[in-house]
Amino acid sequence: MDRKKLYKGWEEQASRELRDKNLEDHFWETPEGIKVKPLYTEDDLQKISHEIGVPGLPPYTRGPRATMYTNRPWTIRQYAGFSTAEESNKFYKEGLKNGVMGLSVAFDLATHRGYDSDHPRVVADVGNAGVAIDSIEDMNLLFDGIPLDQMSVSMTMNGAVIPVLASFIASGEEQGCPREKLTGTIQNDILKEFMVRNTFIFPPKPSMRIVADIIEYTSKKMPKFNSISISGYHMQEAGANQVQELAYTLADGKEYIKSALERGLNIDEFAPRLSFFWSIGMNFFMEIAKMRAARYMWSKIVKEFKPKNDRSLALRTHCQTSGVSLMEQDAYNNIVRTTIEAMAAVMGGTQSLHTNSFDEALALPTKFSARIARNTQLIISEETGICNVIDPMAGSFYVESLTSSIVEESQKLINEIDEVGGMVKAIEMGIPKMRIEESSAKRQARVDSNEETIVGVNKYKPTEKQEINILSIDNEEVRKRQVSRLQKLKNSRDKKNVESFLEKIKNAASSDGNLLEICIEASKNRCTVGEMTSAMESVFGRHNLSTKTISGVYKNTVKNDGKIDIIDNELSKFVNKKGRRPRMLVVKMGQDGHDRGAKLIATAFSDLGFDVDIGPLFQTPEEAAKQAIENDAHVIGVSTLAAGHKTLVPLLMESLKNNEASYIKVICGGVIPPDDYPFLYDLGVSKVFGPGTNIQEAAIEIINLL
Amino acid sequence: MKLKSYLKLFQISNINFSKEIGISSVSLSRYISGERLPEKRILNKIFKLTDGLVDANDFFLSSSPSQDLSEIDKEEIKKMVLNIREGKLKDLAKAITLVESSLKLHNAQADFLLSKLKQNKNSLRVGITGVPGVGKSTFIETFGMSLIDLGFKVAVLAIDPSSKRTGGSILGDKTRMMKLSVNKNAFIRPSPSQGNLGGVAKKTSESIRCLEEAGFNIIFIETMGVGQAETTVYDMVDIFLVLLLPSGGDELQGIKKGIIEMADVIIINKADGNLKNTAEITMLEYKNAQNMISNIREDISPEVFLCSSTESIGITKIWNFIKKFEKIRRDSGSFYKTRIQQQTKAIWRNIFLQSQDYIENNLKYKDSVKKIIKDVEKNNFDVNNASKIIFDSILKRNT
Repeated sequence: MDRKKLYKGWEEQASRELRDKNLEDHFWETPEGIKVKPLYTEDDLQKISHEIGVPGLPPYTRGPRATMYTNRPWTIRQYAGFSTAEESNKFYKEGLKNGVMGLSVAFDLATHRGYDSDHPRVVADVGNAGVAIDSIEDMNLLFDGIPLDQMSVSMTMNGAVIPVLASFIASGEEQGCPREKLTGTIQNDILKEFMVRNTFIFPPKPSMRIVADIIEYTSKKMPKFNSISISGYHMQEAGANQVQELAYTLADGKEYIKSALERGLNIDEFAPRLSFFWSIGMNFFMEIAKMRAARYMWSKIVKEFKPKNDRSLALRTHCQTSGVSLMEQDAYNNIVRTTIEAMAAVMGGTQSLHTNSFDEALALPTKFSARIARNTQLIISEETGICNVIDPMAGSFYVESLTSSIVEESQKLINEIDEVGGMVKAIEMGIPKMRIEESSAKRQARVDSNEETIVGVNKYKPTEKQEINILSIDNEEVRKRQVSRLQKLKNSRDKKNVESFLEKIKNAASSDGNLLEICIEASKNRCTVGEMTSAMESVFGRHNLSTKTISGVYKNTVKNDGKIDIIDNELSKFVNKKGRRPRMLVVKMGQDGHDRGAKLIATAFSDLGFDVDIGPLFQTPEEAAKQAIENDAHVIGVSTLAAGHKTLVPLLMESLKNNEASYIKVICGGVIPPDDYPFLYDLGVSKVFGPGTNIQEAAIEIINLL
Repeated sequence: MKLKSYLKLFQISNINFSKEIGISSVSLSRYISGERLPEKRILNKIFKLTDGLVDANDFFLSSSPSQDLSEIDKEEIKKMVLNIREGKLKDLAKAITLVESSLKLHNAQADFLLSKLKQNKNSLRVGITGVPGVGKSTFIETFGMSLIDLGFKVAVLAIDPSSKRTGGSILGDKTRMMKLSVNKNAFIRPSPSQGNLGGVAKKTSESIRCLEEAGFNIIFIETMGVGQAETTVYDMVDIFLVLLLPSGGDELQGIKKGIIEMADVIIINKADGNLKNTAEITMLEYKNAQNMISNIREDISPEVFLCSSTESIGITKIWNFIKKFEKIRRDSGSFYKTRIQQQTKAIWRNIFLQSQDYIENNLKYKDSVKKIIKDVEKNNFDVNNASKIIFDSILKRNT
């Protein structure tokens, strides 16, 4: 039968089933603005704009390797954020016994920002969200008994990338592994830090020079090491939709290529060592299509730089299941979410994968939750047979059509970046940050008004509270241990020698010496991460971010189901009583730069009619108190994601008290283990909000609180 | 107003006043105490003598419930004033909240507080405006820090636009003034405008007085530079700075010509990196077009400067000019004269505000007024007559 007639027949049949409803009403517009039809057919396959090809050959749409998982499955690589080198070392060894094939190091916030553990600004940050590394001594402990010539190590480090990578290389050599044998990846993706994660140290220009220093050095001296992991992950975590994540990440990659070429490198010297990092969320087919589109587009982008080696065109990637998709409410659901996301990453052809533990919306993983996360991957890999066929989604009418749509939509965003003169320019203008925050506010509004379902959160809520065991960290204990180790190091080393190396770092920073090269020697000579950073800072300066905010997006997207009217009513009662609108100061204290939550709260609450003050990133509790007092805020909203609340909130309360300002109420929101709630309430915190809180309901609660 | 208050205000003795009307001082006392009511002839005399301030209603109607503060309130506020003088930020912040509040009680408290403040002649009030993105906050950060290094205490009042639709606002200035906001010699207070410019003007100039009482000697008033707020701010500062971006005429930058004409200092900001050349051209354009910058000050002409807040270029030059500006004008007396004129303007502004407030919140809701307007709608009454009658009711308002 001829196809046209066939489809006509389907349309008629479908319309009959729908009765009085329209077929058009069943089109789904994704958050990316892509119109998805209820049915895809051969016709759609005719219209695709990308090439499908075969795996292992350009344009690599179907995968960077010809055999993919049929030869060797993806690397199970679990990111671990334990607070000390010793504990992390234990976790690694445990994992290696149980099927983990590569290590992934998470560093604490102090290290990210280039502060040693004894710096006064990082009292609450040492040992939070990862391991504290102050010097090569800590690195030696971290990899004790782990042969670095056999184990690939991935390090999430961007800000203090030079001293940390240098300490790693130096530590490897002290262990007996020459640098050319080191394998693994350093994230080294500073552009996305300026966009979403804010874990930068220096201004954009010297930061880009550092990236180039690392690409240059590794391409010459460390042939098996990935010099950069160009990351979209944190963009999606910050609220970007998949098209934004893809487009901005590829645009970042393009910028890194340009800066390496400017350094005089040949494209084939470094392009094969560039790797990528995606977040995989719940939009199953969209994620698969994104990963395929990414490989196709990257090969086209690199092609413009005229490489001779085809390997330069192949995009290799790490994936992690989405952290924001994890919910505090009904937390065991997270196991299922992570499984679905892991499946998408595998169907999309990832080279390595981290699966989140179900309790990560509450705290760091426990031994138990880490094992389930690991097993999720092992089950997909070894029980399902998925690995036996390469790129099983290829040729699907829907997936190929979606892949094309993503290619087209992303290209538009990349063009926009190109038009303003590249990513560094665009970041300076704040374009990507704005767009991502807009998406984030829209998503929240959809969830708040139940347009998007999250099981256990805005629908099918559990009636009973579940107890979940979680891991808690005594940050003060960790800090004391780090500080005393640091003191020992400082007492035992040759002071003059250290000074002379720091001087050399300054010289290299102000000329065109390779900073990584000199810092490897410096760390062998026991210069600390903080000292090396300060030496560079004295030349480059420390970067301050100017915060821009959006407004109106939340209000325009949210559907008024009566709650808005309640809020309006409560607000006008409040104004009549108090003479002004409720004023809330949203603060992020400590070195945690994840400001998605804070920004979202700020924009949504101001849209709902609050006066919202925003504090600068990296505030100390004393600074936050001063700002709240000066602005005469009714309430301080503390946004916390990195376990710093146990140290920072008490300091904030104390600071308010010392200034006779305890009349200012304090509320907390973010990733806070339920076990900590009583601790916070005892301090005098008025209310704690967990992830997945409905903002409108929270607004009503807060007004009543004041 | 009551006759008693009138006599007190103009310091007229009962005896003198009774002589002028031609009655005995005993009778006058009885009128004042309310024991007796004056007859029509006497009423007319009093009305004429007091320039209309005291009329028949003041004798026939009992006075409205008093807006007076309790003694406890007064004591609290006196304590607050002392704390402000000692530099307690908490009390300063609370005082500004009272000033900004929409509650009648708070306003009465604020009025009492303001009456306890001293006149500060040594402060410098600096207005700063420019379109969003021109770098006002970053400029104030750099400039303010350099002034603190020189020993000044710096305050910043930032007026943020509130959303017209929800009334809420985001106040993010401090994120761009990171060093200044944590410095103990600085005080930054962003205020939502609530869409009411006249109100902002009154509140801002009162907040300035609170800051001066707390010892802040350089006070920046930052506004958005896109609307009428600038004219009002101009009327409460000693010197007015306009920030512009390199390139483009003022129309291109979305800034009104009228605002440029008010500038004492034009600053071409962001004169760094790629924009350096463009900035220089822009500066020349404005320098050559001095004729479009009218000389509003009789003793010193406006000047144009290049500035890069991030590279600290131009900051010293700008400060030197401001110092020169201040010195010349203080020496000639025009500095203080301008402040006096501004006070006069403030009186009229407040009167307009109060009338407007009365019209919006009272007059419009009166049944008689509603009826008259209905009549006009039905063509039973003409516009001129209607407005005249309604206006008369304002004059007769006695509350």
